[in-house]
Amino acid sequence: MSKTNVRPKQRVSESSSNSAAAPSPSPSLLGFLLKAIKLHFCCSHSKSSQNGKSSFHSELLFPFSFLMYHVLPTILTSPNPFSIQQVKFTAEELRRIMDYKHNIRNMSVIAHVDHGKSTLTDSLVAAAGIIAQEVAGDVRMTDTRADEAERGITIKSTGISLYYEMTDAALKAFKGERNGNEYLINLIDSPGHVDFSSEVTAALRITDGALVVVDCIEGVCVQTETVLRQALGERIRPVLTVNKMDRCFLELQVDGEEAYQTFQRVIENANVIMATYEDPLLGDVMVYPEKGTVAFSAGLHGWAFTLTNFAKMYASKFGVDESKMMERLWGENYFDPKTKKWTTKSTGAPTCKRGFVQFCYEPIKQIINTCMNDQKDILWPMLTKLGVTMKGEEKELMGKALMKRVMQTWLPAATALLEMMIFHLPSPHTAQRYRVENLYEGPLDDQYANAIRNCDPEGPLMLYVSKMIPASDKGRFFAFGRVFAGRVSTGLKVRIMGPNYVPGEKKDLYVKSVQRTVIWMGKKQETVEDVPCGNTVALVGLDQFITKNATLTNEKETEAHPIRAMKFSVSPVVRVAVQCKVASDLPKLVEGLKRLAKSDPMVVCTIEESGEHIIAGAGELHLEICLKDLQDDFMGGAEIVVSDPVVSFRETVLEKSSRTVMSKSPNKHNRLYMEARPMEEGLAEAIDDGRVGPRDDPKIRGKILSEEFGWDKDLAKKIWCFGPETTGPNMVVDMCKGVQYLNEIKDSVVAGFQWASKEGALAEENMRGICFEVCDVVLHADAIHRGGGQVIPTARRVIYASQLTAKPRLLEPVYLVEIQAPEQALGGIYSVLNQRRGHVFEEMQRPGTPLYNIKAYLPVVESFGFSGALRASTSGQAFPQCVFDHWDMMGSDPLEAGSQASTLVGQIRKRKGLKEQMTPLSDFEDKL
Amino acid sequence: MDFESKYEVSRVATFIRSHNFKRIALQFPDELLKDSTRVVRALRTEVDVKDIGLYVMADTTYGSCCVDEVGASHINADCVIHYGHTCLSPTTKLPAFFVFGKAPINTSNCANHLCNYASSSTKPVMVLFGLEYGYAIQDIIKASAVETSKFKLHFADVMSQSMIPTKDSEKTNGDCGVPERRTYRIGGLIWNLKEGQTMDVYSVFWIGPENSAFSNVVLTFNTCEIVRYDATENQLLTDTLQQRRILKRRYYLVEKAKDAEIVGILVGTLGVAGYLSMIHQIKEMITKAGKKAYTLVMGKPNPSKLANFPECNVFIYISCAQTALLDSKDFLAPVITPFEAILAFNRGSEWTGKYIMEFQDLVNSTPVGSTDISKKEARFSFIQGGYIEDPDFQDMNGGDEDEDGGLSLVNLSTAVQERGKDQKSIIKGTAKSGLEYFANRSFQGLDINGNGNGPEVFIIGRTGKASGYDNETSNH
Repeated sequence: MSKTNVRPKQRVSESSSNSAAAPSPSPSLLGFLLKAIKLHFCCSHSKSSQNGKSSFHSELLFPFSFLMYHVLPTILTSPNPFSIQQVKFTAEELRRIMDYKHNIRNMSVIAHVDHGKSTLTDSLVAAAGIIAQEVAGDVRMTDTRADEAERGITIKSTGISLYYEMTDAALKAFKGERNGNEYLINLIDSPGHVDFSSEVTAALRITDGALVVVDCIEGVCVQTETVLRQALGERIRPVLTVNKMDRCFLELQVDGEEAYQTFQRVIENANVIMATYEDPLLGDVMVYPEKGTVAFSAGLHGWAFTLTNFAKMYASKFGVDESKMMERLWGENYFDPKTKKWTTKSTGAPTCKRGFVQFCYEPIKQIINTCMNDQKDILWPMLTKLGVTMKGEEKELMGKALMKRVMQTWLPAATALLEMMIFHLPSPHTAQRYRVENLYEGPLDDQYANAIRNCDPEGPLMLYVSKMIPASDKGRFFAFGRVFAGRVSTGLKVRIMGPNYVPGEKKDLYVKSVQRTVIWMGKKQETVEDVPCGNTVALVGLDQFITKNATLTNEKETEAHPIRAMKFSVSPVVRVAVQCKVASDLPKLVEGLKRLAKSDPMVVCTIEESGEHIIAGAGELHLEICLKDLQDDFMGGAEIVVSDPVVSFRETVLEKSSRTVMSKSPNKHNRLYMEARPMEEGLAEAIDDGRVGPRDDPKIRGKILSEEFGWDKDLAKKIWCFGPETTGPNMVVDMCKGVQYLNEIKDSVVAGFQWASKEGALAEENMRGICFEVCDVVLHADAIHRGGGQVIPTARRVIYASQLTAKPRLLEPVYLVEIQAPEQALGGIYSVLNQRRGHVFEEMQRPGTPLYNIKAYLPVVESFGFSGALRASTSGQAFPQCVFDHWDMMGSDPLEAGSQASTLVGQIRKRKGLKEQMTPLSDFEDKL
Repeated sequence: MDFESKYEVSRVATFIRSHNFKRIALQFPDELLKDSTRVVRALRTEVDVKDIGLYVMADTTYGSCCVDEVGASHINADCVIHYGHTCLSPTTKLPAFFVFGKAPINTSNCANHLCNYASSSTKPVMVLFGLEYGYAIQDIIKASAVETSKFKLHFADVMSQSMIPTKDSEKTNGDCGVPERRTYRIGGLIWNLKEGQTMDVYSVFWIGPENSAFSNVVLTFNTCEIVRYDATENQLLTDTLQQRRILKRRYYLVEKAKDAEIVGILVGTLGVAGYLSMIHQIKEMITKAGKKAYTLVMGKPNPSKLANFPECNVFIYISCAQTALLDSKDFLAPVITPFEAILAFNRGSEWTGKYIMEFQDLVNSTPVGSTDISKKEARFSFIQGGYIEDPDFQDMNGGDEDEDGGLSLVNLSTAVQERGKDQKSIIKGTAKSGLEYFANRSFQGLDINGNGNGPEVFIIGRTGKASGYDNETSNH
């Protein structure tokens, strides 16, 4: 980013001359391009750009310095145009726009890893860095996490506010409500790696629209699909940009028709996903280039266009309506310049080309080629025709640098993308109308729902805190979120409803004062008096009461229900044990873990029975980042010792118990008879998903169980409980007939079951998918001799005994791995997968590319170092994305000495500090 | 080993004679009970005083390592002679004399191991031992004199075998405070360190079996390197990993206790000095933390005894230092020591690695950071892996009282409503008191009103004997 230190000076000089040169919108294309752009940004974390993956990338750190803009005199009053001054903004000015709820766009940028989100975002930010007045000149655009830059991936989502002023001409076609020409765009750049998709979830909650970035060559990938589904589930309206266009022109040199087909396929693939979400309130969410909801961009080079750009240019030339022209620029519309006729089929003549190719692709290709070949004599007249003027010094540039400058001047990315967002993404006012159903937990006709629905700044406060951002002073956090209704102000007493809050109760509820409401101006936080609905905001002074997310409302609004908690699409399956090197650092570690848990919505910090602190994350990479944060940021560098990654297993059974087992109570007067059997396929998953659960209406549960899983109707009524933790995927079912006092011991059996299902008999791992049937019960006639003390330990023992007699097995977690690689890398991929017990179940060539898409299952245990091994054996051509998929039963019998499973059980028991030998069945089962 | 010296008959007799005790209670642990009659006979001839009463006490209610004062006072005993393994916890009222017994040990072998270890260790070595090896310590010191002279070996002393409680035992405790900085006592051993030294700089050499006394040492001196010499096997065991796991395990239990809503206080001693004030202190602390405490008097807790109180989420076992450590793996709810309870229930107190077993040391100690104006931050539960809040704790800190009454009514009414649904036992919330717990149970006692559907049809019940009914025997 060192280059940025120089850039602003240059840009200011440009802008000052431009402001004189463009006093009114010119009818030419230049005039159209000469938008008053002001980008105002703020950010918490960001990565500056791609790392040095290739020199090609690194030289383009700052691609957008050439973007033209002029400065509004009302806002910029720079006394000295040559001093280092970017366009300045005071908090008050930013605050003023926040009131125009129709002119706000909250949007997130989502994509598969490495499809160029951050580069694109950077080009938007870099286009015109306007920062707080006081720090203008302090030119670091974005905070950089060293680790992000190093790896070239985004780790934390980044909030950036952009300010954009539209011209009247450009807004002519805009039908929606608006309030002047100024727009505030709150943009959140989120990570693309699956391990960090919790960040995406948090970003989606507080935005209304999404810019989906797809690599034009690689197409829609697994993570694109995942986050897109997530976005649609949250009722986020998407627009698409086909990114990395530069690869078509430079790297692959594909011709127009081929490129069109590729783009078409990418868009179709995205639309296939979107089409599955039919939502009458949200309307059609599919994207169409001819409607302007698809952009084509080269984030690295800083240019982009939508068909609107070209349609505008050609509309007058052909004397047709702009929208008509748009339609002709996509799809089956061909034009033959010879005959000057449009047709809907290719006539076969060599000059007859598709509208898109003829009018968009070819001109760009021509300009790029001319620039790359330094044919300046041809270039300048062409540019004049397009209405693009270059500055003196820029005319001296050669080759790629020249090409970038020209393209950036002609088709600036910021203009195309921001206009697309403003036109096609909803304002908070529009979006909250239909999002309220998804958001609000309470009745949809109460005043809170109405305030959210109408985005009413005068209504009661409804604010959702989606994440906690570490502040510069160690140990404190900003609560970052979105105001959905009312306004939040400094000093306001708010009611904080945590994720476990139940209306009417006091659990997880606090009333505290907001110390400060803050908005970011670049790196600097600016305190503002209040923030109205529709905006994002950071709050100071609530971090001790908000754990990961919360709903905030006014102090007196005791009737308000919270906003629905976020659902995360990944689960933390990889765990490490941490301990401090110096025993006396324990308090530091504990404190650090608490903060880590707060700062990351996905990480889970727990403690094992053996007393080890455990950090669980979504994947290896996620854990690595967490550990780094823990040690450096949250523990002040105190040294920690990290164990090898540990995977948690599950215990299940393969068959029904070979016989009914019996256990006697300690006083030998009570006998429990039980059998275990595996649950029907899919039932455990249904319980996980909450389709079947303890809170269901027994009738509905009975219906599902009998229809989908073939249960007897009466039996479904006899479920005693689920476990562990009362909701887990195991059950106790009462199969007894005519047993006296059975009701009395039910609670005790349930307690024993909760205990046993949490710590199975094999290795004290959770049980999964086991149904325990109480076959018979013999109880002592005196109540005192059949109390909890007698029955609870007995129930536990008989459950273990029935588990051990039903062919117990271990379940291991399995990742779904998606790998994209060229054909020559396939051999390496297969061999690495084979070594690690993985198996490929889908291999598909991406149409039109040499790339293959491979989907495989890989045991999580084997996944450590997988990414590295894969890179090594494919010379860096394959990059895997792993996401937890299912539990897989391990074939070998853990009770058979020497088998793989029994070795594993031994290892787990050793790690947990248990006796390495499993407790034999005879200790659990009694004989008459 | 000869009987006379094992039971130290003559010394006991001297003790009795010198204090002129008339009614003497002899307390035997189960494993020595078989010798009790011989001991009584030998004592009677040895003391040789008229109308002396010797009573044998067996099967003590609480741990057999403590003096059973309650048992002794049933016969109005003047003193207690305690045989076998002991924790040497101070008594409240009765004088006591302890006979540790003598376990066989190969002193030269032990001294060899000790010397080898001391020469390989960079730190000075503190030798601690089970009291049953106390008699042999002088021999070991002599045998390892070479090393001792280099000031690398230090030996602990055995506290006096007789114990006579003073009236103002509280006061003496306080007086001891100043010199105690350099004086360490544990399980009947006592030793002094040089000015300015702490146990951290020592390695510990333990002579004895792997019993509760050893665990006690391991926990208390958890920062020291500890090796154990097993006298029955004649070998040195340096791998104390398993023992160190105990510490981590205790740490886990503390974390678990923090989540508890209902706490059971198990009174496991009626003899150890200061137990009453400890109970009061703990009770007060629990109430302050917004939790509910129930006090139960229970000797020798086991899983089935404690499972009779399933509503308790954690038990605090108040007893002598050596019985307090229960590995509660098989228990439905964990059992923790008073020290751990103080860590768990005082918001803001943190475990620094220090571990106090003897609760006498705890009684008047205010733990670190137990200030009431604690940070008011939501509490992080490592068991659940997230922040949770104890609502009552919040109420305590400036909660609005008038709302409270209404709220509890709401809670009760929902509980009543829920009772109506027949399936609600599947859903089990966390109860905040025993009352609430019972309200949530599925079995509410006999349903007098019934369904009103008239009498049920007769069903033929079981036939046969309880040890195996007819249908059961035929099945198996």
